Amino acid sequence: MDSAVWRFFAGRGAQYLLVLALTVALNFALPRMMPGSPLVFLAGEDVGFLDAEQRAQLYALHGLDQPRWRQFLTYVANLARGELGYSFQRGRPIAAMIGERLPWTLLLVGLSLVIATALGAALGALAAWRRGSAFDLGTLGVAVFFESAPPFWLGMILIAVFGAGLGWLPIFGAATAGQALAGWALLVDRARHLALPLATLTLINVPGTLLITRYSMLSVLGEQYIATARAKGVREQDVLRRHATRNALLPVATVFMLNLGYVASGATVVETVFSYPGVGRLLYEAVLNRDYPVLQGTFLIITVSVIAANIAADMLYPLLDPRVRRR
Amino acid sequence: MRALVLVLISALLVLCAPVPSPGQAASLRMAIGRDEGSLNPYTYQSGYPGWNLMTLIYEPLFAPDADNIPRPWLVRRYTVSPDGRTWTLALHPNIRWHDGRLLTADDVKFTYEYVRSHTHSRWTPQVRLIESIETSGATTLVMRLSAQSGGFLMQPLADLPILPRHIWEGVAEPRRFNDSTGSGPYRLAEMRDGQFYRLVANDAYFGGKPKVREITLPIVRDATVTFTALRAGEIDTTSRALSPELVAEFEKAGGLKVVRGAGYASTILQFNVEHPILKDVRLRQAIANAVNTRLMVRLLLLGYGVVGSPGYIHPDSPFYNPSVAFAASKSRAVQILNEAGYIDRDRDGIRETPDGRPLRFNLLTLAGNPIRVRGADLIRTWLRDVGIDARVVAQEDASIIAQVWPDFDVCKGRNFDMAVFGWSAPVMNRATNLRDLFHSDCRYGTINIGGYKNSEVDRLGNELAATAEPARQKRILYEMQKAIAADLPVHVLFYQDGIYAYRPERHDAWVYQKGQGIVNKLSFVDPPRR
Amino acid sequence: MLLLGALALAATLAPLVSPYDPEQTVADPFLPPSREHLLGTNDVGQDILSELIYGARISLTVGSLAAALAVGIGTTVGVVAGFSGGWTDVVLMRIVDLVLVIPFLPLVILLAAYLGPSYWNIIIVIGVLAWARPARVTRSQVLQVRSLDYVEAARAMGARPVRVMARHVLPAVLPLAMAQFIVAASNAILIEASLAFLGLGDPTAKSWGTVLYYAQVRNAFLSGAWVWWVLPPGLLITAATLGFALTGLSLEERLNPRVRRARAS
Repeated sequence: MDSAVWRFFAGRGAQYLLVLALTVALNFALPRMMPGSPLVFLAGEDVGFLDAEQRAQLYALHGLDQPRWRQFLTYVANLARGELGYSFQRGRPIAAMIGERLPWTLLLVGLSLVIATALGAALGALAAWRRGSAFDLGTLGVAVFFESAPPFWLGMILIAVFGAGLGWLPIFGAATAGQALAGWALLVDRARHLALPLATLTLINVPGTLLITRYSMLSVLGEQYIATARAKGVREQDVLRRHATRNALLPVATVFMLNLGYVASGATVVETVFSYPGVGRLLYEAVLNRDYPVLQGTFLIITVSVIAANIAADMLYPLLDPRVRRR
Repeated sequence: MRALVLVLISALLVLCAPVPSPGQAASLRMAIGRDEGSLNPYTYQSGYPGWNLMTLIYEPLFAPDADNIPRPWLVRRYTVSPDGRTWTLALHPNIRWHDGRLLTADDVKFTYEYVRSHTHSRWTPQVRLIESIETSGATTLVMRLSAQSGGFLMQPLADLPILPRHIWEGVAEPRRFNDSTGSGPYRLAEMRDGQFYRLVANDAYFGGKPKVREITLPIVRDATVTFTALRAGEIDTTSRALSPELVAEFEKAGGLKVVRGAGYASTILQFNVEHPILKDVRLRQAIANAVNTRLMVRLLLLGYGVVGSPGYIHPDSPFYNPSVAFAASKSRAVQILNEAGYIDRDRDGIRETPDGRPLRFNLLTLAGNPIRVRGADLIRTWLRDVGIDARVVAQEDASIIAQVWPDFDVCKGRNFDMAVFGWSAPVMNRATNLRDLFHSDCRYGTINIGGYKNSEVDRLGNELAATAEPARQKRILYEMQKAIAADLPVHVLFYQDGIYAYRPERHDAWVYQKGQGIVNKLSFVDPPRR
Repeated sequence: MLLLGALALAATLAPLVSPYDPEQTVADPFLPPSREHLLGTNDVGQDILSELIYGARISLTVGSLAAALAVGIGTTVGVVAGFSGGWTDVVLMRIVDLVLVIPFLPLVILLAAYLGPSYWNIIIVIGVLAWARPARVTRSQVLQVRSLDYVEAARAMGARPVRVMARHVLPAVLPLAMAQFIVAASNAILIEASLAFLGLGDPTAKSWGTVLYYAQVRNAFLSGAWVWWVLPPGLLITAATLGFALTGLSLEERLNPRVRRARAS
C-alpha cells in the first residue's frame, strides 16, 4: 500500500481509538454518576426490609462494593474478552438482550431512514429548483408541520385512524402475541405490525432531510457555474440532475450518515407508543432502572456505530465530490 | 409531499388485508405495562402485577382471600402451639410440579432455607424468625419460631411461593436463573422479552380446573394505547387501573364492564420531620390545614377515591380508627401560623420563622406520575395562599428516591423538605405496617422515610409486632393511629380507587380483592377444597 | 414574520390578553369548549386557552434561544473546521464525535441533580448538546464551497482568509444554518417539557410542551378532548416553526444576493 495512504489511515485510526477510549470511560462513568441506586433491581421489591449485611452481600455479588477504578478495570478487561456481562434487572446476558432487540430496531429505524432520506432528498431538490413556487411553499409548509409535530402525537393519530378507528392495523407489538405463524402469514403479520411505527417515524424524519436538501441546493443554485450552465442553454433537468443535485449531496449524505450511526440506538418514543421491542426502549428502561451493565453495553454499540458512520462519511466525501480532496 | 402521503397510504392499503384471528373463546388477552422477568420468585419485577402473575405459577402455603385474610392453600390442615411459636403444617397430598413430580414437605423446607441464604428483599427478611424446620413424611412439617409474631401467617406463610427443590438445588445466582417450573394453576408456555407472555392452564392442578384455558399477556408500554386497544377489542382487559377521566366513557362503551373498589395504595405529603423548620408540628398542622384534600379527590380523581385519614389506615380496612378524622381549613391554617409566630415580616408574601428564616421549601414529586405532579402543583398554590413558598421539583423515580430514601435505607438519612410520595397496597395489608412506617429505629421503621420519632409510637409498634391476637392488634393500631394523627409526620392526601375494565364475553368471573384489584389468583381458580 | 410577531406579542401581553389566570382552578376539570372557556378546561379545571397564551413565553424563548445557541456554535465550528483544515479540523471534528455519542438522558438526569431547575439550564443543555450535528453538516458544505474554483482562486490570489470566509463561505452556509435552525427550534420546544419533568425546569410552569404532556397522560386522545386540548398546542408549535421558516425565507432574499441573482437570470 502507498505509504501516504497508510499514514492517513494510521493517523485516523489513532484518533478514533482515542475517541473510543474516551467514550468507553464516559459510558462507564455517566451512569454511575446519576443519582439513585440499582439496589431495587438487584434485590427485588420491598428492598427497604433488607438489613445492612444483606445489602453488603448483594453489592459484593455484583462487584459494586469495589472501588470505582477497580470496577472500571474489570469492565475494560471483560470488554477486551468480548464480555458485556449480565443485566442487573433481568439477570440475562446483555449480548443476548441486545441481540434480540437489534433486528427489530434495524428493521424499523433503518427502513424508515432509507425511505425518509430518499423522499426528503427528492422533494427537497424539487422544492429548491422551483423556489418560491406553490410546490415549494406547499412542501415547506407540510415539512414544517411534520417537523414540529410531536412524535407521540403523530403516532397516536395514526393509531386512532388506522388502528382503533378503521381497524386495519394492529396498534401495539411487533408480532401477534402468542400465535405461531410461518411463511407468508408470518411475513404479513410482521409487516402489519411494522406499518404504523414505520409510517410515524418516516413522517417525522422526512422534513429534516428535506429542509437540508432544499437549503443546501439553494446555496448551490446561486453559484456561477450553474448560472453559466443555464446560460449555455443546458436543459433545466440536466442542470438539476447533473450539477445542482450532485453538489447538494454532501450535506445530505452527512445527515444520512449521522442518522445511520444512530440507527442502532432505536427510536425511543415511537417504540414506546407502539410497544415495539427495540433497543430504544431497552436503553430508556435501563436508564430509569440504573441497570449499569445494560447501559454500558448499549452505549458501546451506539458509540461504535456513530463513529463508524462518521468515518464512512469522511471517506465518502471525495467519492461524492471529487473536488473535495483528502487532506 | 402529497405524493409522499399517497405512496404511504397505498403502502398501508397493501398491508391492510384482513387477517382473521382464530377466536379461541377460552383465551384471554390481558395487557401488562412492562417486562416481568421470567415470572419466578426471584426474577419477577414489580409488586403489581408481577407478583400477582408470579403467584399464578408458583404458590405459597397459604393465600389471602378476597378480604386479604390468609387461608390455607397448599396446606390442608395446620395447628399452632399455645405460645404461638410452633406451627405444624400438613400439605395436600396430591400437588404436582408442572414437570409431573410431587410437591412435598421437602420442597417447602428447601424453599424456606434457600431464601434465607439467597437474598431476596421480599422473602429473606420474612423468614428471620424461623429457628428450625423439620419434615416428617412427604406432607408434614413443623416450623419453630424464635418468638411469637404478629405477621407470620401473612408473611411468609401466605406470601413466600414454594420452589421445586429438584430444579433449584445448586442454583447459586437465582437472579440469573430463568426457569419457570412451578406448581400453580398456570404454567409459562412462552415468553418474549419486551413482547409478551403466554400462560397455559395446568391440567393436573390439584385445586381443580383453572377458569381460563390460556392467558396471553402482551406488554403495552403506553397507558393511552392500552386503553385504546381495550376499547377497540385488541385486548380483553389490562392490569392497569382505568384512569378516572375514562370511567364514564368506558361504562357507556359496549362490550366492556367496569368494576370499582377500594384502593389501598396511598398518596401522601411526606414531611422531613428532621428538617430544622418542618420539625415543628404546628407548621405541619398548618400545612395540612391549607391542603384541601377533599377538592384534590374531586379534581384529580374525579371523585374516584377516598380522602386520606391522618392515621394512615384506609377507612375500609378492618383496622381503621374512625375517631381520627381530619377536616382541612384554610382559616385554621392561617390562625395556627400566626399563633406560632410565622409571620411575613418583610412583606414579600412569604412568612418567616420567628428568627427570620423564610418558609420556603422544595416539594419533590415523581415525574412519571402525572396525578402526583398535579397534586404537588395544587399544594403549591394552596400553600402560596397562606404565605408558604413551595417549589415543585419533578424528577424521575431513582433521582427522587436518592433524596427521599437514599439507597432504600432509612438508616442513611434523608435529604429533602417535603415530597408527594406514596406506598403501594401491600403496605396497608401488613398487620405490622404502622411499625414499618413510623418506628424511630431504622431497623424496624424500615420505611419511616421522614425520620419520625415518638417513643410512644415505638413502644406500641414493638407490642404490635409481637402480638398474634387480632383483637389486641386492632386495639394497638387504634392507639397508634391516634398518636400519628396528632403528630402528622405524613399528611395522607388520598387513596385512589382501583378501577378495572374488561370484556365480560371473554371472562366474567373476576374477583375484586379488597384494596388490590382484579388481577389475582382468585379470578382464575377457586380455593382448593380441604 | 408577522406570525412570529403575533405569537411573541401574545406572549408579552399574556396578562392582558388571556381570559383567566392559568394557574387557578376556575371551573370543573375536563370541560369541553364553551363561551366561558373557548378551549375548555384541563385536568385540574384550568382554562386551556390561558395556559397556551402564557405558555408562549417559555416555549418561544426556549425554542429560539436554544436553537440559536446550538446552530450558532455548530455553524462556527463547522466553518472554522472545514475552512482551516489540518489539525484544527481534526481536533474539532473529534470533539464533535465525542459530543455526538454522549448519552443524552443520563447526562440530563445528572445535570438536573446538580444544577437544579431553571430555564437557562434547559436552554444551555439543549444548546450545548445539539451543536454537533449542525457542525458536521456545515463542515461538509464548507468543504465543497472551499474547493470551488473561484474560492480557490481567491485564496491563491492571497485574499485574507477572514475575507474569503465572509465573502464566499458564510453566504453559502447561511441557508443551511436556516434549515438547521428550524429543525432545532421545533425540537427544543418539544423537548423543553421532558427536560422540565426530568428536573431541569419547572413542571408547574405553563408551556406548550407541558400542556401537551398533560393532555397526553390524561388520555385526551381517547376522548373527544384531543380536538381542543391536543390540537391547539400542536398547531401553535407548528405555527411558531412555520414562523421561523418564513422569516428565514424572507431573510434569505435579503442576505443572499446570489440567490437573487440566480432568480433574475
